Amino acid sequence: MSVLIIIDQAPYGNWSGREALDMALSLAAFDQPVSLLFVGAGINWLRKQQNPAPIQQKGVNRNLAGATVFGIEELLADQDALQRYGLGAEDLLDGVAITHYDQDLLANYLHVVCQ
Amino acid sequence: MTASQFVQFTLVVTGAPYTSQAPQTALHFARAAIAAGHTIDRVFLYGDGVQLATNLACAPSDEPNWHRSWSEFLSAANIPAVACIASALRRGVINDEERARYERDANNLASPFQLLGLGEWVESVASTSKVIYFHAGG
Repeated sequence: MSVLIIIDQAPYGNWSGREALDMALSLAAFDQPVSLLFVGAGINWLRKQQNPAPIQQKGVNRNLAGATVFGIEELLADQDALQRYGLGAEDLLDGVAITHYDQDLLANYLHVVCQ
Repeated sequence: MTASQFVQFTLVVTGAPYTSQAPQTALHFARAAIAAGHTIDRVFLYGDGVQLATNLACAPSDEPNWHRSWSEFLSAANIPAVACIASALRRGVINDEERARYERDANNLASPFQLLGLGEWVESVASTSKVIYFHAGG
């Protein structure tokens, strides 16, 4: 039983990604295997050096840096999304694996949540 | 149908009423599932979906009242209904216990909803129930 939670919205403009992250952390807290996949505009969650202080928000990169410590198994970045936003592996937080968001990937999970 | 053909569902609603179609679609699904002999072990409201659990919404009298329709359905079918407490507190949906804790003037959680944590959803995910999500879309 492994769960994949997909974040497809950019951070800060919308609360749904934060609530998706809470779902992942909650599964991990109950020792359920869970991974996070960032696709589309959601890829921007994974950028290094975010500075949301001027809009009085907490940096999502800090939440993600602790994700694996709290038991989230993988942080996955979709290759197509990286290309679309002109990002390379060097622009991403540590510990992110690059993958392809396709049927083969989804077949690895029994439960997929996309907000 | 034999018993093994019946499915136990958990419904997760993340879209708000009158903003999205999610609560309405979920209610139609729920009624159809029950009518076909399936069971629903839990309805879980998350994110904006918790707006469905306020008893202060006043729909115009010539429009469908999704709050009342949902409450009546849940009570009649005796289905446990949970609004995620973290989502609900942020959006001003509180029960009497939280009203006292946060020293607010009123509480507005509709019956039969309860305020509980994401652990309720985790329990459904980890069970044999089929978990269906109703999002806002768009």
